[in-house]
Amino acid sequence: MLNIVFGEIENSIYHPPTYFDNRYEDEWIIDPLTVAMIKDIDKSEVIGAHLIESPVLGPISTKEISGGVKTLILMAFDHTGKIFNASACGDNCAKWIVEIGKRKDLTINLHHVMDFSSVNEFDAIIINTGTVIHNYNEYLAEAFQIKER
Amino acid sequence: MKGKYHIIVQNNRLRYEFDIKRNITIIRGDSATGKTTLINMLSSAAALGESSGIDVICERPCRVLSGSDWQYILPNLHEQIIFLDEENHFIKTREFASAIKESDNYYVIITREDLPGLPYAVEEIYGIHTSGKYHDLKRTYNETYQIYSPEEFTLNVQPDTVIVEDSHSGYDFFKSICSDTGIICKSAQGKSNLKDTIRSTANTNTLIIADGAAIGSEMNELYQFMKHSPGLKCYLPESFEWIILKSGLIDGRTVQEILLHPEDYIESKTYFSWERYFTSILTQYTQGTYLSYTKKTLNKSFLHEKSKEAILNVMEGISFHKE
Repeated sequence: MLNIVFGEIENSIYHPPTYFDNRYEDEWIIDPLTVAMIKDIDKSEVIGAHLIESPVLGPISTKEISGGVKTLILMAFDHTGKIFNASACGDNCAKWIVEIGKRKDLTINLHHVMDFSSVNEFDAIIINTGTVIHNYNEYLAEAFQIKER
Repeated sequence: MKGKYHIIVQNNRLRYEFDIKRNITIIRGDSATGKTTLINMLSSAAALGESSGIDVICERPCRVLSGSDWQYILPNLHEQIIFLDEENHFIKTREFASAIKESDNYYVIITREDLPGLPYAVEEIYGIHTSGKYHDLKRTYNETYQIYSPEEFTLNVQPDTVIVEDSHSGYDFFKSICSDTGIICKSAQGKSNLKDTIRSTANTNTLIIADGAAIGSEMNELYQFMKHSPGLKCYLPESFEWIILKSGLIDGRTVQEILLHPEDYIESKTYFSWERYFTSILTQYTQGTYLSYTKKTLNKSFLHEKSKEAILNVMEGISFHKE
């Protein structure tokens, strides 16, 4: 289930890409979920745990993938209990956040109202109010009532 | 600092090319568009100069500000274009807003956060997109695009309700126009109350009138609101004072020349946002005339038929006549 917390919270990583660079595990990179996310968001191919083929930059290291994908990988595979700032992700990451939330209990932190309209139907708990939402319109209505960002 | 600056940042694989013309520019948008790569290239170029292999072509120095010692570095930077990446938590603090308020630098901030403490313009919120390969087919060409195009928001608007961000002269004007035509007019009493005012308005055809020069922090949420409420529209001129200046009511070629290229006249150290400048020159140019302008209360001369018509003519695509 996806849990969303707006505003400042404890145990949150404000800039997940830096955390990723220092904490990622090789096996995360070659997992089919990561391969699919890198293909979709970065338009790049995972050649191996240490090598990505980017259409723009050519062969790049794992540390050069986008900040959005780094954050998604942490959401999917990090088991330290840290909460990652999803405001480091563009709206093109929204569907992957929902997907990861279907696979595990995932809590994300938002400092802006992310646009989930590309997903439309999804379930999430808005932690600030305790409300369960089932689609984008309900999410938007709930988010607008919350002052914390 | 004033003026418009063309910036080129390139190596043999990437080229970024864009213009900066206000004290605060925001870059946001989808992941993997090259925002962090741009920052990394600027950092390397600033640190190593020509030996970095990166060309930064701009009339002003371009540098990256980051880290916990920003407060010590910033006071020593003048007449520069300063880039900040999204990792910098301090961009949302009062201390940062206060530090850049009277600064003579321009700031380019990469963030998806709203930053309500900073008065940035709807026109200066950009994304980055790739426009193709450059000449030799080896280099990818990236440029900025406006995320919100204000013109899109006001096509054929005929509102039942008007919500005005302003609570002073601008509101006085639109309240008078609306009362003539039976349209409901409310003041939101400031941009931070716009969302609550919209939510409490039941009417379907609602027009929001707000200062485009400083509404940037509200745009992400307003835009999502508009996408799902087809009857909700926004008119976002620079400010109410800008409309009056644009209307031609104030005599003189100088005013129209200023409006063509405000960036050449507006000193960032003096005016945190452009609407303050437009208020200042409107007050100055009308002083001692029958149109003498004050922001607090509307001079009734602006409600004379000829004045009203001139001001409303500036607002293309909007009709204040109910069907």
